[in-house]
Amino acid sequence: MNRLLPILLVLFLAGCGTVRKMESGSHTIGERLAVSIDGSWNHLDFPGIKPAQVWTMEGIAVDELLIYSGIKDGQMMHAEGSAGGKQQNFVFRSTMQTEAIVAMLEGVMSRDNSVFKLTRLEPYRFGGRQGFRFEYEHIRKVDNVQLLGVGFGAVDRGELFALIYHAPRLTFFPRHRAQVEAMAKAAVIR
Amino acid sequence: MKRRQVLAAGAACCASLLARSAGAQAMHYAAPERFGRPDIASDEGGLWALMDREEKGLRRSPLVLRDEKLKNYVQDIACRLGSEHCPDIRVYLVRTPLFNASMAPNGMMQVWTGLLLRMENEAQLAAVLGHEIGHYLQRHSVERLRDIRSKSAFGQVLSLFGLIGAVGQIAVAASAYAYGREHEHEADRIGAVLMHRAGYDVAEAAKVWNNLLKEVRAREGKEPEQTAPLFASHPAPPERRDILGQIAAAMPGGSRGDDAYRRHVAAHLDEWLQDEVKRGQYAESLALISRQIGSGFAPGLMSYYRGEVYRLRAEPGDQDLALADYRLAAQMPDPPAVAFRGIGLICRQQGQNGEAVQGFRRYLELAPAAPDAAFIQSYLAELGS
Repeated sequence: MNRLLPILLVLFLAGCGTVRKMESGSHTIGERLAVSIDGSWNHLDFPGIKPAQVWTMEGIAVDELLIYSGIKDGQMMHAEGSAGGKQQNFVFRSTMQTEAIVAMLEGVMSRDNSVFKLTRLEPYRFGGRQGFRFEYEHIRKVDNVQLLGVGFGAVDRGELFALIYHAPRLTFFPRHRAQVEAMAKAAVIR
Repeated sequence: MKRRQVLAAGAACCASLLARSAGAQAMHYAAPERFGRPDIASDEGGLWALMDREEKGLRRSPLVLRDEKLKNYVQDIACRLGSEHCPDIRVYLVRTPLFNASMAPNGMMQVWTGLLLRMENEAQLAAVLGHEIGHYLQRHSVERLRDIRSKSAFGQVLSLFGLIGAVGQIAVAASAYAYGREHEHEADRIGAVLMHRAGYDVAEAAKVWNNLLKEVRAREGKEPEQTAPLFASHPAPPERRDILGQIAAAMPGGSRGDDAYRRHVAAHLDEWLQDEVKRGQYAESLALISRQIGSGFAPGLMSYYRGEVYRLRAEPGDQDLALADYRLAAQMPDPPAVAFRGIGLICRQQGQNGEAVQGFRRYLELAPAAPDAAFIQSYLAELGS
């Protein structure tokens, strides 16, 4: 995803992307994932970002909340060719074990050769389903910024639901972590 | 004879002539004197200034390895090759899981960890470093810059630098002074001479390209030029391998430095293999890791990571292959703890609960603070242990 940053900046500057304010309250992501937020987020939309929704609190090149809702068996986890067609395409399989899902997410986030280090993986009840929670360190290749991240996920009826948030480790991640944890805790898979 | 066959025969003939010519000329290379800093007002001075700026950022990059021992080892190899130019060469080892190395005209040399993972010995690393030093000695980047400028594209190149402006994007910078085939052949020849003079076995240079060729070919449906960034502007690996093989025949002898190389990189192999597996290029990774297992390089760790590749690829039969590799790794002296986790994961999926529990327990004994310890505990609870 971070490989997209320079492209996104160009797209935004060129007027190809849009930013929509997400107000406090409940929001339905896709068809089956409901989240409640306390405070406003910016929902970025631009060509090639699906299937994730990308939200940010501080700005496009700073922090990033990736929301995956209802990813189906065989579906690609990122826009095809979004990284120049040189990287592996990571595909979700409903038969994947938790470790394989987290490894897939690691792969997605290091497609641009960013460094990803898993620091914690534990069981977690996400969206009312038995799922997982993970923490990670991330060095973004495009600008060498060191990030911290936290992710939550669960598979229900063969579909993947996940929230993944990362931000620069010194200021922004500590500032918004509690909000993201609360969002994950209150998420509902319908 | 079809047109394509005629062209192929012609290319082979040219390559053969080039190789003979290169072999004959190889021994007669005289390196230029050390370069002084060019006038800042000149195009070369501007290029140096640009690279100085990149290097300043690179020094602070968290992607640069901070292992002084390993860095000094690689720096020493570069110095043996560069001889009197040694004081001008500054090596940076950059954590990026791709095969690449580059040397900027100001003496900044980058070596990516994906390249280090793929080397079997010191002589192979010297082959790549010698090649990059060859570009540097012949100031190919300046020639390339002038070529670009003459095509009125230099402004675009500068704007590219301005837009990106990021330390970690030196690969983009490298591509901006990507060399033509003649430069590549010349750098290969000079690199071989430098290797020979430094006491390395030049035959290892051809093996670098042969190994890479096998790896890239393992990636179904892709030609080398379409995959590794180093190939985008370089001569095709088969041609390169063949020419280097003929040059090596003219310069026999030399050492390989297997043990020294393996000793110096051993502490980083785990991290580099993790990065390699995350690329998700499973066919390439299998070719690479199987080759290193065959050469006897860290067989326990390599077997574990080959098992990881099979597990994550998850094609029919891969679970069994993964389990076999995990078991192999677990039987080695000083086995990696994660090999037991691998056994547990596969056995749990296959319903072999007893062996799964044994594997998970052993994993937690060896790595009680593992990042996924809580998750493994939940598996043990699920399995009634």
